[in-house]
Amino acid sequence: MTDGLVIRDLSKTYFDLYSGQHVAAVEDVSLEIHNGEFVSILGPSGCGKTTLLNIIAGFIAPTRGEILLNGRRIQGPGPDRGVVFQTFALFPWKTVLDNVGFGLKMRGVPKPERDRIAREYIALVGLEGFEDRYPHELSGGMQQRVGVARVLANNPELLLMDEPFASVDAQTRMTLQEELTRIWEDRRPTILFITHDVEEAVFLANRVIVLSARPGRVRETIDVALPRPRSWHRLVEDAAFKGLVARVLSLVRTSPS
Amino acid sequence: MSAAVPAGTAPTAIGRVARWVAATPAVRTLGPFVPIVAAWWIVVEMGVFPRAFFPGPLEVVWSFGDLTYKGILPAYLQDSVTRLVVGAGVGIAIGVPFGLLVGLHAASYRFFWPVVIFFQAIGDIAWLPILLIWFGFTLTTMTFVIVYTVIFPVIFNTALGVRMIPADMLRAALSLGARPARVLWEVMIPGALPNIITGLRNGLGYGWRALIAAEIIVGTSGIGFMMFDARRAGSVVEMILGMIVLGILWYVVDAGLLGPVERATIERWGLTRREG
Repeated sequence: MTDGLVIRDLSKTYFDLYSGQHVAAVEDVSLEIHNGEFVSILGPSGCGKTTLLNIIAGFIAPTRGEILLNGRRIQGPGPDRGVVFQTFALFPWKTVLDNVGFGLKMRGVPKPERDRIAREYIALVGLEGFEDRYPHELSGGMQQRVGVARVLANNPELLLMDEPFASVDAQTRMTLQEELTRIWEDRRPTILFITHDVEEAVFLANRVIVLSARPGRVRETIDVALPRPRSWHRLVEDAAFKGLVARVLSLVRTSPS
Repeated sequence: MSAAVPAGTAPTAIGRVARWVAATPAVRTLGPFVPIVAAWWIVVEMGVFPRAFFPGPLEVVWSFGDLTYKGILPAYLQDSVTRLVVGAGVGIAIGVPFGLLVGLHAASYRFFWPVVIFFQAIGDIAWLPILLIWFGFTLTTMTFVIVYTVIFPVIFNTALGVRMIPADMLRAALSLGARPARVLWEVMIPGALPNIITGLRNGLGYGWRALIAAEIIVGTSGIGFMMFDARRAGSVVEMILGMIVLGILWYVVDAGLLGPVERATIERWGLTRREG
């Protein structure tokens, strides 16, 4: 049995109603992510990286190929794969505590136990004291912290993050990136992080997978051996970091389209 | 003290009391009616129209006391409100689940939608002739008319509400382990609630008007009957009294029932749609 996520020859073709043509979003994608790894998937916009994530999450079905998570074939969405959305997708009618405890509630965990675990993860993302607030009372950055805590509290085998920090301001984004690396170093969840931001991809991950322009194919995989803990303060002047960013950037920019 | 402040507006003790009084709910609600009643009273006192055709506020108040004392007004009011509550209850009990069905299930939508549009076009009152033959002057006839009026806005708005829930929110619930039945209860219904409440508000408003119309035609009891019956005695006072009761009662339902529900749910959750 293979551990982690295994994707073999995955393709997705859409039928475009307007042009009446079949459009390949991703083509023959094969990749592996081991348990405890932090992998960024990077590609130009429209390269099908969100399609790839949606297939792994089980929201849409692939045209060909298969996906195994810890040896099990993926079929439809499930709590083994937690998703953090760009739009946060919090439940506005639930407090922070109840948002974070949602997955546990669905599993039938009793209320006192559920609240205890939810409080632990709310503290982990630095939101103590906000347990009884509603999402609309929080800033964008705080809302996405809730989004991360909600998924972590459910203890998934794989964390899927779809450009989660793309809709927060630049300063907040850097803070959230640093905190995500801190949480990863602390708990070692398996993370697949989708982004179009080269620096973000390199800063966060152990490995960056670069996709080509549409149809998305795996163009190259780059190992990121930068020391941890990582902080923007240190890496912004770091030669190794800058070199990696330049290399990845050239791959993305020269991607045939 | 700034020169820009006109004389007499200095924040004196009297001024503060006046502002405090103006801010109380009773004054805020009733205040706008003061000029209307005053104008009414002035026109009556000018004697332009004969008193019997155009009675003043005092006669109406007196009539209110008289009909309340005789027990007619409370009994009719109770009849009307009971009919509205029964009709609205049945309308919501059918309309919300049906709205969820057509909102969520594409095949049901395709099948039922033409039927819904067809029956919506047949106004509630248009059913009265056939209902009177089938059920006579009964509560069933009244309930049918009110249910019929309440149900369409509830169906339309509920269906709209579930369709407006962002796809990511449903995906989030599914990937957190929610089964479809839980998604319905935990995400669909609360997510559609702002629209469901809008549907209820419209539905109840139409239902209240349909009820009065039905009472005038079916005519056994109720506020609508009281007003129409007053025509036989030529009692304009009772007609005006009926109109005032209708307005007050709807205000009470809106401010006392729908308003608090709205504040406790969609405003608390930040789901109110900001205008402008």
